[in-house]
Amino acid sequence: MFSKHVTKDLSAYCQGELTSEESRQVAEHLISCTKCREKFEEIKLGIKLAEQLPQLSAPSDLWQQLRPLLENQQDVRPQTATRTKSFVTSWQTQFATIATIVLVITSLGILWRYRSRPASVPQGSWEVARVDGTPKIGATGISNKGNLAVGQWLETDANSRAQIAVESIGQVEIDPNTRVRLLQTQPTEHRLELAHGKMSARIWAPPRLFFVDTPSAVAADLGCAYTLEVDDAGASLLRVTAGWVALELKDRESMVPAGAACQTRRGIGPGTPYFEDASENFRQSLAKIDFDQNMPATRRATLDALIAESRKRDTLTLWHLLARVEGNDRVRVYEAIAGFVPPPEGVSREGVMQLDQQMLQLWRDKLEPSWSDRTAVSKAMAEAFWRLRTGSEER
Amino acid sequence: MEQAAAMTQQIIDGRVIVACQQGDSEAFRLLFEAYKDKVFSIAVYSFGGDRSVADDVTQQIFLKLFTAIRKFRGEAEFTTWLYRMVVNACLDERRRRRRFLPWGETMPSKIGEKKPQEKQYARLEIAEAVRVAISELKPKFRLPILLKYVEGMSYEEIANVMGCAKGTVASRLNRGHSELARRLAHLRGEVS
Repeated sequence: MFSKHVTKDLSAYCQGELTSEESRQVAEHLISCTKCREKFEEIKLGIKLAEQLPQLSAPSDLWQQLRPLLENQQDVRPQTATRTKSFVTSWQTQFATIATIVLVITSLGILWRYRSRPASVPQGSWEVARVDGTPKIGATGISNKGNLAVGQWLETDANSRAQIAVESIGQVEIDPNTRVRLLQTQPTEHRLELAHGKMSARIWAPPRLFFVDTPSAVAADLGCAYTLEVDDAGASLLRVTAGWVALELKDRESMVPAGAACQTRRGIGPGTPYFEDASENFRQSLAKIDFDQNMPATRRATLDALIAESRKRDTLTLWHLLARVEGNDRVRVYEAIAGFVPPPEGVSREGVMQLDQQMLQLWRDKLEPSWSDRTAVSKAMAEAFWRLRTGSEER
Repeated sequence: MEQAAAMTQQIIDGRVIVACQQGDSEAFRLLFEAYKDKVFSIAVYSFGGDRSVADDVTQQIFLKLFTAIRKFRGEAEFTTWLYRMVVNACLDERRRRRRFLPWGETMPSKIGEKKPQEKQYARLEIAEAVRVAISELKPKFRLPILLKYVEGMSYEEIANVMGCAKGTVASRLNRGHSELARRLAHLRGEVS
């Protein structure tokens, strides 16, 4: 289903200038429109850049320069007041004036900081609710509820669990033996760090508003639900239960849809995504290809084993592998995908061998229906979440 | 934000503006202290980072304000009224100065001339790059960005200052954000 593009509304959307109904329409459109999502990323970058703009200080002698000019002007200006003061009358007046100036400037400074803060961000912190045991924010245990401020760690022991409300965009469940830190919360970006342990996130915001940093990759939410585990070695496992999540590290990116998982390793980054119902042999072969760098001699046999175990929906893995293998290996992966879903018009074997991004994207668009019905699922989830949200607001 | 704005307005309206209208120079000093940095910031960004021009323009604005404040009747918010004056003064001065520049020549950018020691720090370099990029935007895209990010105004407040529709402000900010992102795409990793 097509709907009107929302590119012209994206700044207003990011900055909370739309009505809730307009925001809902933009969010829904973003979930299903690649073009508008690209523009959304551009606008978010523009906003982040503009936020770096500092307020400058006027020269300290500006008043000294201005005062004689004002005095001249005052001489010719008709006085409406019965009591016109000179600039300096007595030391008491000077003292009172300075004190007033300090008070006003301090007040304005505080007000200015408050005024600059978007209304949707409550003092840069998230509400944390205890679920079991005594989770800690910093060194302080939470008896019922607490606030996690930017820079603070939330930690659970073997007997405790917690739930975080991520502004108005979602919830994060923190399992036992987990350590997370709030890195940033702004209208254009919310970011957690998962040092170790396990968390489950349910996010109903537009794509790329919620991020989780791990020691070996960054998880970027594309909506809607997933779990993420990090072990003591910094390796992580992402399992997506609804929508899509991207795992990223530098130039390496894995797009993980519902029903799929992806592992990461410190120093390597995200591996290749795979459906969790793939065969054991398939998954073991993939793990060797992704992370066992000491087996170049058996790499070909491992890739053959993986291809032999592939099903149509495993083209998710094969499509990602195209950019991660070289030479004859890439040819074999190409042929394996083409055996399930031939490349569409405009996609050539030579182009894919050279990793032409446009061709890879075109082929991916054709493959995606076999991975999941992305639009229908995401849209249905989004609508459900929006209804939930609207309902909770009405209550 | 609206609450804070209202409180600011209350301080300025109730305690200062009436006194300013009656010629109270001490009250005018308070007004000056409250707004000088914001007015100066807009002037600096409007004139390619040229602080001496911004200094002159800021003085002109406060001189004009000293007389014109008697005409303020409270039909609009004081800040709206003030920033309308600031925006118009910057546009007028820019037009005036452009007459003396050859065709095609833009306002000189002096931001890049000084190499302060702090430039070693990435954050300052980013801020400087953003300042330069914003200074190079067309006024109709630059001014809404300055009012948004220097003054912290809402779209509606910006629309009131600029005398245009809220939708126009949204459209111009959208274009301004896009331009910034395109010009400074290489900084994506630095601010993400």
